[in-house]
Amino acid sequence: MSDLAIAAATRVLARNWRGSYTVPAAGLYPHQWSWDSAFIAIGLRHISPRRAQQELDTIFSAQWGDGRLPQIVFNPRLDVQYSPGAAFWRSDLIPNSPPVPTSGLIQPPNHALAALLVHQADPEASDRRRFLPRAYDRLRAWHGYLARRRTAASGLVHVVHPWESGMDNSPYWDAPLAAIGDTFGEDIPRPDLDHADASHRPSNAEYGKYLSLAARYRDHDCDDRDDGHPFVLEDPAVNALYARSEWALGQIAELLGHDPAPHVERARAITASLGSLWVPELGCYVARDVVSGQLQRFRTVSGVAPLLIPDLPHTAELLATLEGEHFALGRAALVPSHDLTAPTFDSARYWRGPSWFNTAWLIAEALHERGFAEEARGLASRMADLGLEHDFPEYVDPHSGEPRGTLRFSWTAALSLDLYERLHTRGETL
Amino acid sequence: MNAVNAICVQEQVLEGDSLEQKWELAQSWGFDGIELRGRGDGSFAARLPELRRAAANGVPMPTVCVEMSHFIGAFDAELRRDAIAQMADQLRIIAELGGRGAMTPASWGMFSRRLPPFEPPRTPQEDTAVLVDALGTLGELAASLGVAILLEPLNRYEDHMVNRLSDAVELIRLIGLDSVRIGADTYHMNIEEADPAAALIEAGPYIGHVQASDSNRLEPGAGHLDWALFGATLQAIGYDGPIAIESRLSGAAAEVLPSVPPLLRRYL
Repeated sequence: MSDLAIAAATRVLARNWRGSYTVPAAGLYPHQWSWDSAFIAIGLRHISPRRAQQELDTIFSAQWGDGRLPQIVFNPRLDVQYSPGAAFWRSDLIPNSPPVPTSGLIQPPNHALAALLVHQADPEASDRRRFLPRAYDRLRAWHGYLARRRTAASGLVHVVHPWESGMDNSPYWDAPLAAIGDTFGEDIPRPDLDHADASHRPSNAEYGKYLSLAARYRDHDCDDRDDGHPFVLEDPAVNALYARSEWALGQIAELLGHDPAPHVERARAITASLGSLWVPELGCYVARDVVSGQLQRFRTVSGVAPLLIPDLPHTAELLATLEGEHFALGRAALVPSHDLTAPTFDSARYWRGPSWFNTAWLIAEALHERGFAEEARGLASRMADLGLEHDFPEYVDPHSGEPRGTLRFSWTAALSLDLYERLHTRGETL
Repeated sequence: MNAVNAICVQEQVLEGDSLEQKWELAQSWGFDGIELRGRGDGSFAARLPELRRAAANGVPMPTVCVEMSHFIGAFDAELRRDAIAQMADQLRIIAELGGRGAMTPASWGMFSRRLPPFEPPRTPQEDTAVLVDALGTLGELAASLGVAILLEPLNRYEDHMVNRLSDAVELIRLIGLDSVRIGADTYHMNIEEADPAAALIEAGPYIGHVQASDSNRLEPGAGHLDWALFGATLQAIGYDGPIAIESRLSGAAAEVLPSVPPLLRRYL
């Protein structure tokens, strides 16, 4: 990557801006996605701290009365281009929903981490616009929702839909989805296939179950009180981001003169609870199906994401797993989403093998924070190069690095830009 | 001048008896050059001895911005001919001084579709024909001199013909000369462009000059424009030409102008 690449990434982000938020990509994804926006803000802060703040302010403005940050904030003028859209959710009919149409689901809580990084990009501009106090209130309510409504006796946050993990067709969800008989009876709209090869996307059978689960959650007013909800999963990356974001909230609290202790305590509690997802023989964390009580014994990028957490008891083992044959850190393209040696591995299909730039960024950040400087810089530099070389693809083949999915993908541009700036130009460490 | 984005200031806000004195002051405030103002009635050509001396004394003057009562898109054919003649002078002189170009709007203060009587005496097709003709003539001259004629889109209250960067791009494509470029002004863009950054990126290959003033037409930093985004966007289109401050001032020049170069440099 070079200054030319900074220019190319900036052009992608400027073109994908929609006045108050950034679309994940033009065409395939016309609305605002929650964790996309937080990742995008991390890159936008190098272009315009104000725009990065606005990106987060916009997702915060769609916060529900119960504190949830919705998976998608819909642009009602483009409702036909994505399914399920605003007409499926009808969030206006659900108690506690915001004035704008949204999905009822959530996405992984990477927002506090992003808010802190955005603030740090230009603390003066942030102070002048009162960004951090405003964000802190929203983030506390968001994490409050996760603690109150999504945390079971295990002490871990659960997701009620594969989409909530951000890793839609991870092998973690195979058994839990197979156990669900219901599927969506009506025709399954797939506008995504106008933009991407069907063999790279989740299958129609998967989509039918996705819609059925979403409809059930919606029809229970998204109130998290449906005891019979058939999909309740504890995902390692979701919990790792939750813990890492609590650490970030602690830092934000300190900056604002508040007590960081409640955040630190919660972060430590989540970290302790994650122990129940650790599988020593796999050398990583896995997901647990709360309904069946079964651990989903797969190595996925989600299971190494807890490397993001300070004071984790298994840091060395996770690094070994990353560097071994399953993820081939330094040899594979970025970090494969799934174990390269597993029978369930598929180099082309979405979250069952391809390498993604957001998870590569998380692992690079984790390696950096844990003091594995050389590994962090190597991954960061390969990521920035790969992003540019292929016009910022959505994801890449983990063996060849060939681009997959859509191009000029916003978080790919944003996070490549972030790592490049931190590696080369602005003096931040990586 | 610096290799990247010389930051210039227009001559009328600088005190001094000569351009050399003004340049000394501008330098002490952190500027890299001076943008000249080109008055009509042959008065810019009459300044030639002064300008030659300043150039010989090392005053960087990359651009001249027109300051007249009529323009190349005037409704009156006589006035139009005179404006083209004055701009031709400005192109010859700026070329002789080693500069880059002369900047003009289609018109200024002649007609606004937002103010009575709302309907101009010419059709849009006739406006286009007039501008293609004028800019084509000036563009050919500019090409022969190795400089550019810089077309500045103005906001809707100041001109009715060329308001957005895309309006200028359309004209330049019709003319088909590389020597006709856009002079983009952040103040006008802030009014006319739905997304100034996206507009600059779309028009990137056609941008030949940039003028900077804030949302309220005061110097950068005195309004609410996003200068970080401005800087990143200019870098994203690979624009390495000058940025000239054409603005009113929020206070005494000596008080407010020295803060401008560091503000812009921070993001360039």
